[in-house]
Amino acid sequence: MSGIMSIIKEAAVGSFLSVRQIAFIVIPLMVFMEILKDAGILEKIANLFSPLVKIYGMKKESGFPLVIGIIIGLSYGAGVIFRSAREDKLPKRDLYLITYFLVCAHAVFEDTAILMAIGASGALLLSTRLLAAAFFTYLASRLIDGKARKLSAAESRMLDNER
Amino acid sequence: MQNTQKHLSADTVKRGLIAGADVTWQLARIVIPIYFIVTFLKHTPVLNAISILFSPLMRLFGLPGKAAIVLVLGNAVNLYAAIGAMVSLSLTYKEITVLSIMLSFCHSLPVETALAKKIGLSAFNVIGVRIGLAILSGIAFNLLLR
Repeated sequence: MSGIMSIIKEAAVGSFLSVRQIAFIVIPLMVFMEILKDAGILEKIANLFSPLVKIYGMKKESGFPLVIGIIIGLSYGAGVIFRSAREDKLPKRDLYLITYFLVCAHAVFEDTAILMAIGASGALLLSTRLLAAAFFTYLASRLIDGKARKLSAAESRMLDNER
Repeated sequence: MQNTQKHLSADTVKRGLIAGADVTWQLARIVIPIYFIVTFLKHTPVLNAISILFSPLMRLFGLPGKAAIVLVLGNAVNLYAAIGAMVSLSLTYKEITVLSIMLSFCHSLPVETALAKKIGLSAFNVIGVRIGLAILSGIAFNLLLR
């Protein structure tokens, strides 16, 4: 019986300490994020980084929902994506690439903060995730273009391709 | 996201505190039960059996066999469930970092795949890419970190 009591005590203390440790990091982070939103800084950051999506051959307007999704998260990001898709008439290609990027990297600060709180390396986590998502999205953009080109050039290729 | 003019106020901080408390609550209600379950399993032969079963696979990432529980919970449920398992398993810094990187690419598959499908991506591709990135990063960081 004392064995079971000590297991319960171990779990109760351990889980409480873990949650408390995470709360100490997550609550200030969420306050900070709200300040970023309300001070219009989030929007400025999104506008600053959105031209970068030209690397992927995307419209400049597609950068905004992408950056918002990376910072805030997938479900909130999806709302912004649907709205921008309607208002800015984003092409399907852009929508797909935004979503591919976001399934690999979303809510990056929140996730990183929580995992850092339990002992992971935050810098490594954040940089790996963003770089891998960026690189993968680049590959996906080339792949999509390759497919489109292949379709349109299928006929001439059949004639030209000697090998 | 309405077009109403936003400005900083006491309300901003209040909303942040509520959002933070909400995340903490969502996390606590998953982390605490998982922590209890894993702690109980630690005192039974079950955890050991899982460890032995998965250790050949998990060695690929430099992880102990029991870490398979973290990956399964993270993908089938969500990140919080994985965290509950991670904190109760007493892992090292390297193990936690490798698991965190793997999980950050690939987690909550049922919910997030549904969302990607709604936007029009193929579920098969999305899951394939995410699992692929998780496996590659797991192998790479096992070799890179010490």
